[in-house]
Amino acid sequence: MHGRLKVRTTEEQQLLKRKEQQKKLMAYRLGMKQILESRKQDTYDPKSLAICAQLLMVNPDIYTLWNYRKEVVLLELKADNDESEQLANFLENELKLTEQCLLANPKSYGSWHHRYWVLARHPNSNWQNEFDLCSKYLTMDERNFHCWDYRRLVLNKIGITLGDELKFSTNRININFSNYSSWHYRSTLQALTADCVQDELSLVKSALFTDPMDSSAWFYLRWLLSNSVVTHDHMRDLLDNLNQLLELEPECKWILVAKCWLLKNLQMDEGSYKTEQIASYSKLQEIDSMREGQYVDYLKLLQLD
Amino acid sequence: MAIPIKDIKLPEDSPKELLLDKHVEFIKRYGKSDDDYEFGMSDYLRMSGMYWGLTALELVDKLHILPENDVIDFIKRCQDPETGGISACIDHDPHLLYTLSAVQILCMYDRLDAVDASAVVNYVTSLQLPDGSFTGDKWGEVDTRFSFCAVATLALLNRLDAIDVEKAVSFVESCKNFDEGFGSRPFSESHAGMVYCCLGFLSITGRLDIVDRDTLAWWLCERQLPSGGLNGRPEKLPDVCYSWWVLSSLTMLGRLHWISAPALKRFILACQDVETGGFSDRPGDVADPYHTVFGFAALSLLGFDSIKPVNPTFCMPQHVIDKLKIKHQLL
Ligand SMILES: [Zn+2]
Repeated sequence: MHGRLKVRTTEEQQLLKRKEQQKKLMAYRLGMKQILESRKQDTYDPKSLAICAQLLMVNPDIYTLWNYRKEVVLLELKADNDESEQLANFLENELKLTEQCLLANPKSYGSWHHRYWVLARHPNSNWQNEFDLCSKYLTMDERNFHCWDYRRLVLNKIGITLGDELKFSTNRININFSNYSSWHYRSTLQALTADCVQDELSLVKSALFTDPMDSSAWFYLRWLLSNSVVTHDHMRDLLDNLNQLLELEPECKWILVAKCWLLKNLQMDEGSYKTEQIASYSKLQEIDSMREGQYVDYLKLLQLD
Repeated sequence: MAIPIKDIKLPEDSPKELLLDKHVEFIKRYGKSDDDYEFGMSDYLRMSGMYWGLTALELVDKLHILPENDVIDFIKRCQDPETGGISACIDHDPHLLYTLSAVQILCMYDRLDAVDASAVVNYVTSLQLPDGSFTGDKWGEVDTRFSFCAVATLALLNRLDAIDVEKAVSFVESCKNFDEGFGSRPFSESHAGMVYCCLGFLSITGRLDIVDRDTLAWWLCERQLPSGGLNGRPEKLPDVCYSWWVLSSLTMLGRLHWISAPALKRFILACQDVETGGFSDRPGDVADPYHTVFGFAALSLLGFDSIKPVNPTFCMPQHVIDKLKIKHQLL
């Protein structure tokens, strides 16, 4: 159970609540029983399907209920191969149900999967509509990874290219640097090449200079630096930038950490950067004591060299 | 536009000692509360609920307070005769999540004989797709969580040979991200829960070599917030269950010492409910068995004397894994 605050209630309130809950529990068990009975038949009864929808709207994690619905969808699809209006309405109803479930609980695995599963079997699935739905949900919670995953699934169905998405990603990052999901998404859109690496470094730099205390762009930077298309010239450039930034924010651990990556990479052919690394790690040990163990490990390695 | 770190503040009066007896009572009561609303409404995950509660009890040497026979009978009745898979509860459908939970419980009791193990193996094998991934059940949802469930179940049954391990590994590898973490499918954002599943998967298949250890360990140790608690993704709130996913992952990577143990201990202890017993996700929230077992397990990895050693890969008592001689890799 997540984020459920414990509230103090009077005995009277508790009694009332318990009564209410007993009713709900009874209804749940009765509903499950009826659905189970109906499931044993080769046909289904609309009443059970309606009860099933009600139960799922209260709790979309009851996976067996989604399974029941899928069985019914398959029955309908089999019975109706002429793409009639009735079938269209039936499937529309399934989609509406998942939308209602997602509005109440946008992180329900079962609802997302059911929606995609139905659309994949829909004779006239409207993927543009799905794309718009994604955009709507992303504005409600820009970190919802189900939503990002769904967006990715839908893209190729409506002919949006990864290039289009790269522009979308640049816009998003420019509006809000501090969004790890956007940086992650960006990393999946293109292979890093000598052509694009300068742009990527510039984008990261503007994020770092806007708010060096925010962690997201630093993770992206570490990834960029691990790629062989980043040259020593790029790195020396960046090191100068970081030194400037450090003068403005001398207590910012991220700058020191990143400096150490650069120094380590550059050290391969220019061995004089060791003292500066030792100084940075020693400072980090002091200002970021929770992660002292990590810095001590790196200091040991430097002293072994 | 500096954005403040998302975190909580531990209340002054939060508990600082482990309330062991209260937690044991909490779980005992939970298992008997058939008329209780929360319990009654959660039958769709009962098998995992039992695994959480029973593992928590065994970690403090109190497994015997619940009747073993009832548990074993229940599991027997949850095995689907048609597919061999095991469901969360009677009248629910078989699923990999609950198949693993059931097998974990059976291992704890040393009662694998109680189910048709070869049928379980067939069920797991039937869920592997040509790309190496696993679906959770016959309805096709793919997730790295299910890759973990599959290999963990098979490893406990000593039947890893039943699947195409190489392909399974390459699917998991395809879910690795720019930060060296893992998400639920290719291109999905890294998430501590899936990082645990994928590292656990690689630990069981002996392929931890495919991750850049220090880059991932850095992402993981950066999950620790000033409150001492760990979050599951950047810019999210700390939580006891994420503390376990991150801590066990760091342990598999041999980098447990990259976070502050005293600060994490303080956070986890502060998530105990002094009245009902049990742990919640954060101080002041409602306690549940799920956060209770992960609270115990995390404290065990941090070296708490009153809790038995836990295995970071399987989230089971270490002595069970030792006894069954289950092979797995730790860095
Ligand atoms: Zn949690």
